[in-house]
Amino acid sequence: MVSNAGSPTLHMKAEMAVALTGITKRFGAFVANDGIDLAVRRGEIHAIIGENGAGKTTLMNILFGLLQPDEGSIRLNGEETVVTDPAVAIKAGLGMVHQHFKLVPSLSVADNVFLGMEIRRHGLIDHAAQIARTRELSKRFGLQVDPTERVGLLSVGIEQRIEILKVLVRGARTIILDEPTAVLTPQESRELFQTLRSFVAEGMTVIFISHHLEEVMEVSDTVTVLRNGKKVATRPTAELNKDELVRMMVGREVSFDRRPRTPSRGDVVLDVKELWARDDRRLPALRNVSFTVRSGEVVGIAGVAGNGQTELAEVLSGLRPASHGSARLKRRDLATLSPREIREAGLAHVPGDRMVRGVDRNASIAANMLMGRQHRAPWSSGGVLNWTAISQNASRLIRDFDIRAQGPGDAVKRLSGGNIQKVVLAREFTNDADFLLIDQPTRGVDIGAQEAIHDEIMRQRAAGRAILLISVQLDELAALADRILVMFNGRIMGEVAGDGADEDRIGMMMAGVAAPEPAAEPA
Amino acid sequence: MIRDRLRDVSGQIIAIAVALILGAIIILLVGESPLRVLTTLLRGAFGDQEKIAGTLLQTTPILICGVAACIGLRGGMFNVGIEGQLFLGGFAAAWVGFAFALPAGLHMLAALALAVVAGAAWVAIPAYFRARYNTNEVVSTILSNYVAVLLTSYFTIFLFKRPGGWSETPPILPSAYLPELFSFSRLNWGLIIGLVLALGAALIFRYTSWGYGVTMVGSAPKFAEYGGVNVKRQGFVVLLLSGAVGGLAGGIETLGVHHRFMEGFAPGFGFDGLIAALLANGSPVATIFTALFFGALRSGSLLLEVDTSASREIITVIQALIILSVSAQVLVRRRGDSQAGERRWKF
Amino acid sequence: MEILDKLVNVALIAATLRTTAPILLVALGGSFTTKAGIFNIGLEGQMLAGAFFAVIGSIWTGSALAGVACGVAAALAFALVFAVLVVSFRANEVVVGLALNILAGGMTISLMKAIFGTRGSIVGHGIVGLPKVQLPGARAVLGSWAPLISGFTPIVYVGFIAVPLLVLFYNRTRLGLYIRVVGEKPEAAEALGISITRVRYIASLLCGLLAGLAGAHLSLGYITMFTENMSSGRGFMAVAILIFSNGDPLKVLWGCLLFGFADAFSLRLQTFGYPSYLVLTVPYVVALTALFALSYRARPKIITETLASMQRLLSTDKNIEQGGKHPS
Repeated sequence: MVSNAGSPTLHMKAEMAVALTGITKRFGAFVANDGIDLAVRRGEIHAIIGENGAGKTTLMNILFGLLQPDEGSIRLNGEETVVTDPAVAIKAGLGMVHQHFKLVPSLSVADNVFLGMEIRRHGLIDHAAQIARTRELSKRFGLQVDPTERVGLLSVGIEQRIEILKVLVRGARTIILDEPTAVLTPQESRELFQTLRSFVAEGMTVIFISHHLEEVMEVSDTVTVLRNGKKVATRPTAELNKDELVRMMVGREVSFDRRPRTPSRGDVVLDVKELWARDDRRLPALRNVSFTVRSGEVVGIAGVAGNGQTELAEVLSGLRPASHGSARLKRRDLATLSPREIREAGLAHVPGDRMVRGVDRNASIAANMLMGRQHRAPWSSGGVLNWTAISQNASRLIRDFDIRAQGPGDAVKRLSGGNIQKVVLAREFTNDADFLLIDQPTRGVDIGAQEAIHDEIMRQRAAGRAILLISVQLDELAALADRILVMFNGRIMGEVAGDGADEDRIGMMMAGVAAPEPAAEPA
Repeated sequence: MIRDRLRDVSGQIIAIAVALILGAIIILLVGESPLRVLTTLLRGAFGDQEKIAGTLLQTTPILICGVAACIGLRGGMFNVGIEGQLFLGGFAAAWVGFAFALPAGLHMLAALALAVVAGAAWVAIPAYFRARYNTNEVVSTILSNYVAVLLTSYFTIFLFKRPGGWSETPPILPSAYLPELFSFSRLNWGLIIGLVLALGAALIFRYTSWGYGVTMVGSAPKFAEYGGVNVKRQGFVVLLLSGAVGGLAGGIETLGVHHRFMEGFAPGFGFDGLIAALLANGSPVATIFTALFFGALRSGSLLLEVDTSASREIITVIQALIILSVSAQVLVRRRGDSQAGERRWKF
Repeated sequence: MEILDKLVNVALIAATLRTTAPILLVALGGSFTTKAGIFNIGLEGQMLAGAFFAVIGSIWTGSALAGVACGVAAALAFALVFAVLVVSFRANEVVVGLALNILAGGMTISLMKAIFGTRGSIVGHGIVGLPKVQLPGARAVLGSWAPLISGFTPIVYVGFIAVPLLVLFYNRTRLGLYIRVVGEKPEAAEALGISITRVRYIASLLCGLLAGLAGAHLSLGYITMFTENMSSGRGFMAVAILIFSNGDPLKVLWGCLLFGFADAFSLRLQTFGYPSYLVLTVPYVVALTALFALSYRARPKIITETLASMQRLLSTDKNIEQGGKHPS
């Protein structure tokens, strides 16, 4: 293992803005944080880096009082502190900028900044004073905003500045930013880094959570790497290079259970050409995506969550319109088909948010397994459902997929997360569809069930299905996919063969480092 | 599963008990003895065979309106406009009944058919705007009730007034009458139609592909959309069907009971039906029993007015209290189940 | 033209202001709950309870003011039950609102029968109506236009003065701001330690306060009597106004003036011999038309957004395409 050579020693603790010792946090059987030590010196930019699920956000939520640790202690400015809730953390000079902003769209920038601590005169809110204070702060730290504008009209980048201003107004001296650049354009990111440096210049401290290698190298003084809930190392950034960082993040001990694979010579089932789509905020979420999936082949989509994978799945299942380009399923243009027609044309879909899209939690297993096939024999004929067949089928699937339930009449909400996922998989995998769109098949599923799900995906591959597997877990993709496409910021950064998957290279592409394949232009 | 069901039912019964206790307190406040009110209600509802027939007569429109409400609730739609659909359906049936002469049987069917069309047409605009533009259907259907009641009154009094009568249309021809079941009561085939509708609706929701899709739209719209169900279209269709059944309720009331349309001919049946459906948690079969319960209350309240100093509206107070306590029954459920308790009423 | 002159004159405008007042008050009350993110279909019942108990209070005490206080207290009680069920027990707001409306209807009739032994309406019995406020000097300054500002009951003035006060409330007071935050972005309120439950209770009770005043104006204002279901859907019209005004006091005012005018106009038409039943539908038809027309304009975001993105498709995608060639 990598040593903790660069970590500060105990006698220096008076200089420490934040010192965490032996922090452990469990969620059921899952250990999110496992005995993590973290020391952040006053006046530094300290980056915390790690893959999704490495425990970064959990650790910061504990520091900020949003979660209580099961073990371990916290020192703020050298004082042992029990952070029972955010108010304690704020009082100790901590401020947190969350990944999801909590701003009120109809209020002005200044109103949002001062919400909860309004400046009042004669009992009425003094807008002029709030605007003046906001303007002053935004000048001082280079956070350009117009305090009078309504937040609803502003871009995400500016919203983040407002969140930072909120923290500053509350007197924070140590500022935690959770994946701040995930929502920013490169230009906005650069401006943010300027601001962070100006904080440090004023003697403030910044804790910066990220999985983006380049920006960590660019902006931080010290890096702490987390992996699987454990701390790998804390090092001065200057001593590191990108390769080392990737190795520490991804880890060597992950055993890729590689299965023998032969390239598919099957027909092209899914053909995506120059596809563009927008997300809910109307920003481009897919940019010029092209790829094909052949029968008997698993194509993996790797990438950090939120880089366009969700939108890709929605476009392919007809739940979101494409703004440009085409996607053809067995030569039929998906844009002209309704979600039902796409299913009938041969799509089976395991959705990423299975609790909302994948099941009706209050309905029975049998009723859940009927969805999408309620118009087809043998489950119905002439519009009349055959519940005997439906029930028998459900019982068989419960047995085949080893779903832990009493019977087909059990409500889905009574099952565990892994078993709910198996209900979805059982339904979709037995649809006789030529194309399987599988989004995060093992998220929140225990190890034993993961194995079973992987085996099932490989069986489907052997049966000649074309499979698009979207996952944030690299080892899963390396274990299953014939080819892996890496998505970053709505683009496909490159392709890697599955059985020769080089985690370093994938990691780089996921972080947006590697140059993309030359992109073809949309017509 | 059976334990779940039992717990659901016991929750409902506890809620009703709480409401009855509250009702008793209100009856005391009104200056009557709760026991006397109760016995009078029971006597009025089930005292003899005519009284029982009277109860069933009151049950009929509540049941049919309840089925109408169930259809909407299943698809996630609150049709609060059943009252208006009932009035328009009632008038439409009467109009066919008195303005045309057709062979017996056919005449009745034609009248009922127009009642169905009138009910569906009346909800079509709110339904369209709900499905297409997400316009709140609760408000639009409530407001359309007032228009429907006034409109039918206008038709009755200004356009089709019975010469010499006051606020009623001419009587319908006997060829359009719904056959009566017994000689001693006006109880008619409407009850049978209501029972068939309730069972039919239950069967359709349970045993057809369409009913399955609609149920999923009501309980998990995103899941339904993912599974290929056209959520918007089904929302529209469900409201239209609900309105059609509401119209039919009015037609049956006209052809079976009053044999003419008159101002204020069936007040409150639409709302009673909605409440019965809510109390039955959207299940058409359970609505048969809740409708019978409300029918008995209504029928008993007629005697209440005569024999005690209490007004018959005391029963609407009791109905409202039942719904309020049922809606709050998260209270009596286990904490861990609070989410389920919440959903029951979110439909 | 002559008919039009007879229909539209100072008296009609004054009547509009009178008929606007109750719906304005109840809608402003609903503005609190709307802003706090509660769909309050129970306004109708609160108003009706307010109207009934205002009459009762007025008879008992012989004072109009005490009557108003009784009416407000009754509406507050309804609002409190609504808040307990909806906010604390998380019951469905539509179900609770409808049930409370039905409760108000049944209860007022039952109590009427119990107390007065009559059905239909309470007239006489020594009901003391609200006084009309004659503004001194109004006649001298405005002449025949004086009825536009003078001679209304105090509650009418309260209703119209409440509009600017509410604007101030939502923009300049902490509570007003918090009500908006709780309705618009509850997670923001939570993050800042604002109690959502407490704010929603306060909003519900403020709503009951104004709905009670509106009810008192119905039964003690220009006619001093109570009749069965005398709120006759004004609470529901207020909800319609709230839906398309989003609870903004100024928009609420315009919406209410429209309905007040429709109401006054239909009353006026009746006196000219138009069939009353058709004429009475006018306010409801106006409400429905406004509801549909405005929801068409405020089409679901998805539709407008898709349209907008399609319009910008060519130009924007060209730009992105250019960015695509030079990834940063």
